[in-house]
Amino acid sequence: MKIKRLSIIAKKEFKGLYNEKTILLAILLQLFIALFSSFLMVGLTSMYDPSSLSKYSHSRYSIAYAGNESQILTYLQTSPDFRVYQMDLSTAVAALGQRKLAAVIYVPDTRPDAPDPVKITLYTLQNDLQTAIVDVKLKDIFLKYEQDLRDIRADRLKEELVHLQIQKTSRGGDFYEFVYGLLIPLLVFMPAIIASALVIDLITEEYQHETLETLMSTPITFAEMVWGKVLACELLVPIQAGAWLLLLMLNGIAIENAGLILLQVVVTSLILILLGTLTALHYRERTAAQFIFSTALVVVILFSLALPANPLNLITRIAVGTAGMEQWLLLGGTIVVIFALGYLTQGYAEKIAKTHKTR
Amino acid sequence: MGTLTDIATIARWEVKKSFSMLGRDVLPFAIILFVLLVLVTGFAAQTGMHLQDGMYNVGVDDPQIAELLASDARFSVYAMDSSVLLKNRNAFDLIVVQGIVYGSETEKANAAQKTLERDYSKYVNSIYNTENDLFAAYPLWIDTESVKSELNFLATQSGQYVSVTPRRIAPVPEGEVKTVPTPSPTLAISQDELREGLVQSNAKNTQFSRYTETLSTSSSSMGNFKTPSQLSPPLPFDSIILIFVFIFPLYFTSQFFMMSIMNERIERKGEILLSTPLRTSSIIIGKALPYFIGMVAICTGLAVYIKASPVIILPLIPVIFFFLANALFIGMVSRSFKELSFISIFFSTVATSYLFFPSIFANVHVISLISPLTLIVLTIQGSAWTVTDYLYSTSLFWLTGAVLFYIAARNFKEERLFSEKKLVSRVREFLSEILSQKHPFISLFLLSGFSIPFIFMVQMMCLVLFFNIPMPYSLVFLLLFAALIEEIAKGIGIYTIYARDPAFLTWKNLILACAATAIGFLAGEKLLLFVTLAQISDSVFGSILFLSLGSLWLPFLLHFACVIIVACCLKIWGKKGFVPGLVIAMLVHCLYNLYFILGWLG
Repeated sequence: MKIKRLSIIAKKEFKGLYNEKTILLAILLQLFIALFSSFLMVGLTSMYDPSSLSKYSHSRYSIAYAGNESQILTYLQTSPDFRVYQMDLSTAVAALGQRKLAAVIYVPDTRPDAPDPVKITLYTLQNDLQTAIVDVKLKDIFLKYEQDLRDIRADRLKEELVHLQIQKTSRGGDFYEFVYGLLIPLLVFMPAIIASALVIDLITEEYQHETLETLMSTPITFAEMVWGKVLACELLVPIQAGAWLLLLMLNGIAIENAGLILLQVVVTSLILILLGTLTALHYRERTAAQFIFSTALVVVILFSLALPANPLNLITRIAVGTAGMEQWLLLGGTIVVIFALGYLTQGYAEKIAKTHKTR
Repeated sequence: MGTLTDIATIARWEVKKSFSMLGRDVLPFAIILFVLLVLVTGFAAQTGMHLQDGMYNVGVDDPQIAELLASDARFSVYAMDSSVLLKNRNAFDLIVVQGIVYGSETEKANAAQKTLERDYSKYVNSIYNTENDLFAAYPLWIDTESVKSELNFLATQSGQYVSVTPRRIAPVPEGEVKTVPTPSPTLAISQDELREGLVQSNAKNTQFSRYTETLSTSSSSMGNFKTPSQLSPPLPFDSIILIFVFIFPLYFTSQFFMMSIMNERIERKGEILLSTPLRTSSIIIGKALPYFIGMVAICTGLAVYIKASPVIILPLIPVIFFFLANALFIGMVSRSFKELSFISIFFSTVATSYLFFPSIFANVHVISLISPLTLIVLTIQGSAWTVTDYLYSTSLFWLTGAVLFYIAARNFKEERLFSEKKLVSRVREFLSEILSQKHPFISLFLLSGFSIPFIFMVQMMCLVLFFNIPMPYSLVFLLLFAALIEEIAKGIGIYTIYARDPAFLTWKNLILACAATAIGFLAGEKLLLFVTLAQISDSVFGSILFLSLGSLWLPFLLHFACVIIVACCLKIWGKKGFVPGLVIAMLVHCLYNLYFILGWLG
């Protein structure tokens, strides 16, 4: 096997990719997934927890208070988020229906130390985004009142709690887990998945377009051709993953040990690519190979996620700086698997080449 | 009759062909993999996903608290003496000394502290749930009643923004005031039922809810009653997961259809089929039919399996139709397997997110109805939906599917199927085929009219994409892209005609073509808005997308002016002028929109 011949094949594949330019779609796709998932997370959390986006929480909402006076009224009156009107329930609900109010609260005549719970009725608009925000803001006030009531009724509680005093945090940290625990591993492994799907396309294409014979008439052996394609796909991984890491860092997301992350991804992606290669060599037909491979991929990813200290988890840990020696153990294990798969691939390719010659 | 037999014959061939291919050694492998998948899913459900294990280092001096924290795999817990902890503070994200949590001021420490807070409240709830006197542990209950807004969306469309700016005196409702019965002060549900509901909602600690823990889920057995901490709109997460169960098989099956089309093109295998006297529409329908039936069968099977009402098949049918139309089109335009993969993965991701995203808001906002999947969520939840809802959420899918099928059917012939041109020029050729030589203006009118549903889909995606950019920029981007997309859609027909025959574009024809395009665009826009999208117009984002609602002549002038800019650039500079023309038209469009929005908001 000659390195030069491998690079010839790899170059040929790169040229093909460059000419078609559709790989741009794959890159755009990753960008889309990134934006979309962060849209989901950031959008949703800010919708359900408006305090995380301070600039939206300036507006005050009109609220009607009906029924008996309670501590809640004082809380509402002192809250910067609300303006409270004491109103008759029917009038208030009618005004709510005409969107002149954001919510109506009715508080019954239950004593704070009564055996029964205090049941508050909250009227809000149906199917309205603003309702979601008002709900969240009211929640804080209700929680405060709940604690008051709990304190009053404390002597009726039996169980002993382990006490933990948590101070109010300053802002920030809302999206930390999402960024480091989901986005980074996802984005970094996306190129690996794309590369493994690509290797199937590259190999089956030679069979189905019947260009294999032409390729075999050159001095390049069958195995070299296969490894050249593997090389081309493998090279795409660090380029894309590196671009992702760079992009994230430009966005102000500090990633520790970016080099180690790349190393892990490059090595792990080789397993996926080799699995794809074996599937493609076995089926030599795209539909079947892609179908089997993608199903197998789901199984493999799901299985590894169910194991502690899986490669995806390792990426998270490296990115936040809590990975220890175990990363090198995992790397070693991965390399052993790669050697086994590589041996299999080489053997299979040679076997196929032999049957070709005898034919 | 003849057509039907033809279709049946083709469908039979298709089935036979795909089975002979699958039969060899795919099927046994597929079965093994499927069994493995079921096993692994069960295994993963049992052990949980270990994606975020050991993210935070926490030092604790109390073994009881250490045990509490260690139940969350995200924490690596180190139990040490308090003096040692204080000395090595910086080695940990959080330290807990004598029951007090200390964190450094980093983002990571804040995140760790928030996680700890949620874990702790979960723990506290689990203790309180077992209290004998439940109403001492949960003394406050909230009964939520929703009131229907009497204002319709037309009010917001005409520019009147519904405001709730607080005033000094209490608001007075207009018209008659209906008496609202005074709510009873007692809960209508027994203590045991409430306890059951509390335990249930506290146990909902799946791996998925980890990302959504801020959005607490409601539990069914408690009715409308909630504790204060449960007071957030429910996220129909379980139903959304189910959606993926439905969408994935559809995606796979459409892949087979795509490959079958592609295989006809490779080595000109499909030539035999084309040389038969069969009509192309019969060939396409015949080829698609087995996949369609297969998809419907899979969905029905799934619906039966999860014991959902068979009604959920109804909103899925347009989705299946849309997937098949796309598969046909992609199978026809892509040149190589790589391209097929890239385009189809891209398309399916975009389509899935388009389907998926609105259904999250299923219980929050009417906008969710734009996705047929919301209807599925509603069905699974047991809520009813109307025929209008169905039309509203599926019409875009029917329309785009039908248009794609038509384009593909017109192009299903030798010179298109077996040419190896670049993607962009192939798409242009495809369009050229549906633009008639004899009646170019009517074709332009129809083309721009039918481009509307696609534009809406793309603009919808832009809305999603730009949503998470900071506020002023997101508006600017949305403004620019909404305009650009519309201009591309309008310009593409004239560009195609020009590319086919530059001599056609005399000044007289140019003006006529522009007018036809502008009228077609306007007609399509108004029709679709009228039928479906009117309800979205009540947000600032909606107002940009669907701004041109007011009078008819103003938007017409805008469309006409923009197309004519593009057409003139084409005429003067040739094909090179297309892109600059688009840019100028986009700017004009933006200025128009800006003027109206500024006038509107200011």
